[in-house]
Amino acid sequence: MATATERGALTHPDVQTLAEVNEDVLRPLSKPGKGWWAMFALAAAGVGLFFASWGRQLVQGIGVSGLNEPVGWGVYITSFVFWVGIAHSGTLISAILFLFRAPWRQSIYRTAEAMTVFAVMTAGLFPLIHVGRVWHAYWLIPYPNSRFLWPNFKSPLVWDVFAVTTYFTVSATFFFLGTVPDLAAARDAATGLRKKLYSIISLGWRGTDSQWHHFGKAYIFLAALATPLVLSVHSVVSWDFAMGIVPGWHATIFAPYFVAGAIYSGVAMVITLIVPMRKIFGLEKYVTIKHFDAMAKLCLLTSMIVLYSYLSEFFIAWYSGEVIERASFWNRLFGPYWWATWIMLTCNGLVPTTLWFKRVRHSIPALFVISIFVNIGMWFERYVIVVTSLHHEYEPYAWGMYRPSLTEMGILIGSFCWFGFWFLLFTRLLPPVAIAELKEVLPAPLRKKEAH
Amino acid sequence: MTDGIKRRDFLKVLGVTGAGATLTACSTGNAERLLPYVTADESITPGVATWYTSVCQGCSVGCGVWVKTREGRVIKLEGNPHHPVSNGALCSKGHATLQHLYNPDRYAGPMVREGGALRQISWDEAEAMLAERIQGAAGNVLYIGRHTGPTMSRLLDQFTNAVGGRHVEYDAVSDAPLREATRIAFGADELPRYNMDQARFIISFGNDFIDGDAPLSWQRDFAKMSAVDDHGSKGRFVYAGPRLSTTGQNADEWIPINPGSEAALALGMASVIAEGSDDGPYASVLAAYGPGAAAQAAGISEDQVRELAERFAEGPSLALGPSAGAHHRNATAAHLAALILNHVAGSFGRTIHVGGGLQTAARPYSDMEAAIRAMAGGQVGVVMVRGTNPAYSLPEGSGFRDAFAGVGFKVSFASAPDETSAMADLILPDRHWLESWGDSAPRTGLMALQQPAMQPVPHFDAKQTGDVLLSVAGRLGNDLGAATFFEYLKAGHQSSYDGSMGPFEDAWRQALKTGVVEHGEAELGGAPDLRAPDTAITFDAPALDGDGDLTLLVHPSPRFGAGEFSNAPWMLELPDPVSKITWHSWLEIHPDAAEARGLREGDIVTVASPHGQVTVPVWVYPGIRPDAVALGMGGGHTDFGRWANNNGVNAMTLLPAVAEQPSGAFVTLATKVSVTPTGDHRRLAKVSGSDVQAGREITPAIALSSLGHGGEEGIPPEEGLKELQGGGGFVPVPADGGEPQAFPLEGSRYGKYADSENRARWAMAIDLDKCTGCSACVTACQAENNVPWVGEQQVMMGREMHWMRIERYYEHVDATQAGHLDIRHLPMLCQHCNNAPCEPVCPVFATYHTPEGVNAQIYNRCVGTRYCANNCPYKVRVFNWYRYTDAIPDPMNWQWNPDVTVRDNGVMEKCSFCMQRVREAENRVALEKRGSIPNDGEVIMACQQSCPAEAIVWGNIRDPNSRISQVVHSERTYRVLNEAINTQPAVNYLKKVTFHEVASGEHA
Repeated sequence: MATATERGALTHPDVQTLAEVNEDVLRPLSKPGKGWWAMFALAAAGVGLFFASWGRQLVQGIGVSGLNEPVGWGVYITSFVFWVGIAHSGTLISAILFLFRAPWRQSIYRTAEAMTVFAVMTAGLFPLIHVGRVWHAYWLIPYPNSRFLWPNFKSPLVWDVFAVTTYFTVSATFFFLGTVPDLAAARDAATGLRKKLYSIISLGWRGTDSQWHHFGKAYIFLAALATPLVLSVHSVVSWDFAMGIVPGWHATIFAPYFVAGAIYSGVAMVITLIVPMRKIFGLEKYVTIKHFDAMAKLCLLTSMIVLYSYLSEFFIAWYSGEVIERASFWNRLFGPYWWATWIMLTCNGLVPTTLWFKRVRHSIPALFVISIFVNIGMWFERYVIVVTSLHHEYEPYAWGMYRPSLTEMGILIGSFCWFGFWFLLFTRLLPPVAIAELKEVLPAPLRKKEAH
Repeated sequence: MTDGIKRRDFLKVLGVTGAGATLTACSTGNAERLLPYVTADESITPGVATWYTSVCQGCSVGCGVWVKTREGRVIKLEGNPHHPVSNGALCSKGHATLQHLYNPDRYAGPMVREGGALRQISWDEAEAMLAERIQGAAGNVLYIGRHTGPTMSRLLDQFTNAVGGRHVEYDAVSDAPLREATRIAFGADELPRYNMDQARFIISFGNDFIDGDAPLSWQRDFAKMSAVDDHGSKGRFVYAGPRLSTTGQNADEWIPINPGSEAALALGMASVIAEGSDDGPYASVLAAYGPGAAAQAAGISEDQVRELAERFAEGPSLALGPSAGAHHRNATAAHLAALILNHVAGSFGRTIHVGGGLQTAARPYSDMEAAIRAMAGGQVGVVMVRGTNPAYSLPEGSGFRDAFAGVGFKVSFASAPDETSAMADLILPDRHWLESWGDSAPRTGLMALQQPAMQPVPHFDAKQTGDVLLSVAGRLGNDLGAATFFEYLKAGHQSSYDGSMGPFEDAWRQALKTGVVEHGEAELGGAPDLRAPDTAITFDAPALDGDGDLTLLVHPSPRFGAGEFSNAPWMLELPDPVSKITWHSWLEIHPDAAEARGLREGDIVTVASPHGQVTVPVWVYPGIRPDAVALGMGGGHTDFGRWANNNGVNAMTLLPAVAEQPSGAFVTLATKVSVTPTGDHRRLAKVSGSDVQAGREITPAIALSSLGHGGEEGIPPEEGLKELQGGGGFVPVPADGGEPQAFPLEGSRYGKYADSENRARWAMAIDLDKCTGCSACVTACQAENNVPWVGEQQVMMGREMHWMRIERYYEHVDATQAGHLDIRHLPMLCQHCNNAPCEPVCPVFATYHTPEGVNAQIYNRCVGTRYCANNCPYKVRVFNWYRYTDAIPDPMNWQWNPDVTVRDNGVMEKCSFCMQRVREAENRVALEKRGSIPNDGEVIMACQQSCPAEAIVWGNIRDPNSRISQVVHSERTYRVLNEAINTQPAVNYLKKVTFHEVASGEHA
């Protein structure tokens, strides 16, 4: 078994001293550059668009979307599933890889966790945006009431409420707990108001033995608690579809298929976010090519699972001999939404096969481009599942077309800005790399060998 | 409790102060509107409907109706089962007359045009003005109006005689050619009476009696004729015409003959049947038009003519001549030929009768032509128009607009704006027929009374035209015998009363109660002798104007008539029974003709005739000849109200103003047109997602020859019934094929469902062999259940709200067989599945299963996740995307049924099995202490009530003696998609029965 020193040397060969870590990681927390402000302004404007679009929908009715009969779910549910999917890799990287002691997680897990929390915050809005009467959405929560009315526990939508709220609670707690020692480091470096703020949220962390002891225990317990959620949450989300009898939804493969897809899209999103962040904040030393290589491999694995799922769905539809099922999948490939399906197959099945090549895995621009493709592909995957299945169902007379409206597009774009808004704040307010954990794996501070 | 305030006291104080606070918070602004009945009207019980009988004046047919009123407002019409014209049915347009009553565009009161603008005046001023003008016209008064009953006609005669002038009756849609042909053939000035139910073979030469403007009793008789009977036999219906109308779509066989060749084909058939033995006055005609000539004229084979003739001769059979949509220049000849065919085949006295004195109100165009000439010639001083809208319904070539504009003083009695009243100097808005008195005499010996069912809608200061005429006559010093039209009407009936029903007052009350009085039926003649024609008749195909390559077929719309219903949103949003298009106009074109021009559905074309041109999108339809195009009436209004204006195109633009000779009917099949693409395209507001069943058992059919062989067809009756009786929201099917006796499952007997076996289990059956797709049920449902309309844009987005829809599928049968286009209609509504996919997915129990087996929807519990709609395989759930009901203007919301919740934004809705009707009956049963389940037939669904074909049966399927239990006991019974997904619907369908073989699988 490799020692901590060896692991650190493997992953972070350019980091020399522990002080350097503090300095480098905490640097973004000082003065923001113009670039940051520009991006932040853009994100804030997008958040404005998001709430303006939603407000319009609340005032006028959900008719401002392009939804109809038969396509009762569209961009909103697509985006919900997309963001829940994005949220998955964070916990995967921080919890599962922590438990498995994967050597490459320390540098990226903070970003991944932050992404998880913000993605769930984004995802959680979509069911609210999507329902016809959001002011009654609390009826989905089982609470004692004078009318003895309970939600229908048979409905996957109720399971969803539990799954998503649980996931948010656990991942937010996990995220916060992991940052406590680093917040203390930030506190020590900060002055003025910031210092007060960090003092409060670092919960009086002093780095004593006993604190480290409890921290370690709590962290491992939470990691263990979060691990099953990685699998369960997206399984539950997949049952929103699989429990329905809609051809194209009603399949037993959905849970594993969705979980793999979620990890796939989540890892891709981590790459998309870390590439610019690393560049802008000068974290090249901490997030190295080895990390990217590992993430690319995870991407490749999950993309193969996802592609296998696509192919097996098509195969089973054909093999079943069921007229309606066959028609649904034929329509998926060659019907009016063929373009969405082929975008999905290309982006998720074809493009990632380039990751078999080490040269591609080691090229950061290539990985960045591929990760964008995967993000697009995974959004379209959900669009294909939701829309192409609904628009071509059992009753031919009721077949119909769905065309997303400008409001839906505004909310979709706005949701990225909402996510970006929080993420940008994160980069400014919290240490983007886990300082304490990183130090654990770095070699002990030794004097540099003199060259002879 | 000894100290402090007691709980009871506290509540008292709270109650008093609370009430005080509420009282002081009351606004006094609208207090006068809130007054309750100070002295309660003993005939009105709040919450209980009061019913009146009347006669529908929506078109000239005159169907008897029952008018449902609640708290003084008319909310629904239903067919009067005692009235022989409607036999209890009511068409879509009949329902939509309610939207004329509450039309927000109605005139607020009498108006005078001053400098181009209208100014409201008092009735006194208005009548004085009219009297003065009539006096000044020196006997040159012209009244143009639709026939609205014998008493009104008599009053008009009296009035025009008194003031000097004449009155012309005119209706855009008429059956004058049939009337004229009957006169020529038999010397009787009446329409023949048909007994379709007696026939075993009917051939329609372009007669579209299902598309409107025909008595609904015909449809009922037709259903009896064409539906398979207890002995497993059914009558055959052949449609010979260039386009499949709704009527044509119901034919067992379609012979797409050349437009205008009806006479030749009928005579050809007649000559085959007569075999030269006929020595009547038409022997020479029959000799001249042999089967060869007929085949050539119609564009079919001689064998086909002979075969048709042979089948027709087997009898009892009936031939019908062309109706208004196929009136060409020789339409009378076509009717005469059909009468000859009927005569030769011995149908008279069996399926068709003369001597019944059947009248219709519709009058021909030729009278109108004369009136236009008189106006243009300056012979008219005052012109009055009522109940008709010639400025819209006559082509420009008629000269009506110019002639009318030239008249010195123009009066319109239109109750709502129309193109003619837009030109009038004085507008004296008539009351709606539901606010006024009248009568109708559909045939000798039959009288029906039209009575006001409510106080006039207070938004509009309207006055019945009869009252206006009497008052104006009085001002001119002419006493017409009564002060009001009601007195005039009653006096008229009193003077002609024969005393057969006791004192007149009793008879009058009885007549008002039943809505119809039969003074004994006229003796129906047997087989009358044919007379030689007394006027020139040519049986050849008519000449057509223009040198375009496509024949233009202009037909009255099943939804708009000739345009009278174009401002009724229910009609605009009702999918056309043929094209399934809502709101706008479209041009029907054959796929081959479209392909030759590079046209696809929705491409916008210019249609040009020698008389005008219109620009309209095309809809590709295999049910029309490749050398013809069709355009419905009713579009392109300019001054007809907010919904009608600038919607679609007016087909009349393309037509010449020609009166058919000798009947004088307006000619609709007159011209050829050219069709040129404009290059533009639009999405049609069409509701059908597919024209084919795509290999699914949505509307399977069964061949007549396969009936009675039992076997695999249908569900085994015993087991099927048990399944249906299961109810309770649990799965009653044994997965392992076990014993069906296990129903209902043990697990279904808990809680609310514990005694469900002792309750009713509501179910429905729809006989697809009877359903014609006429869509009366759709509008009936809309009227009953406060279903809003959503508008053209929303329909284009796929958001129509109808709880019931008629699905239409094409089955392309082998072209070598008869009727190569088999069109299936399927009324689709909530199937109330026992095993409903919508129920488990709702997170808040907004949809659940009642112990009576109904799939209930609780609107105010609905959060609007729409999962139920996604999971409904039948797609019968509709969602309130906006506050559609808020868009309904006052007073149209007066029509709302107070027993049905008006749904809010963001909730799901669907068919409730008219639960309000069930509850109403259950309350009555409880009050009368008759147990808990209403008798069979005591509850009638709104759709079921209106259905002219009686295709819908509804009732308690747990009662083995109920009609529904009997009906589902058929080898034709099936349930849509049940085999595929085991939803266990409570709605059963009875397969359509075809004469051609139904291939299993593909055409299943």
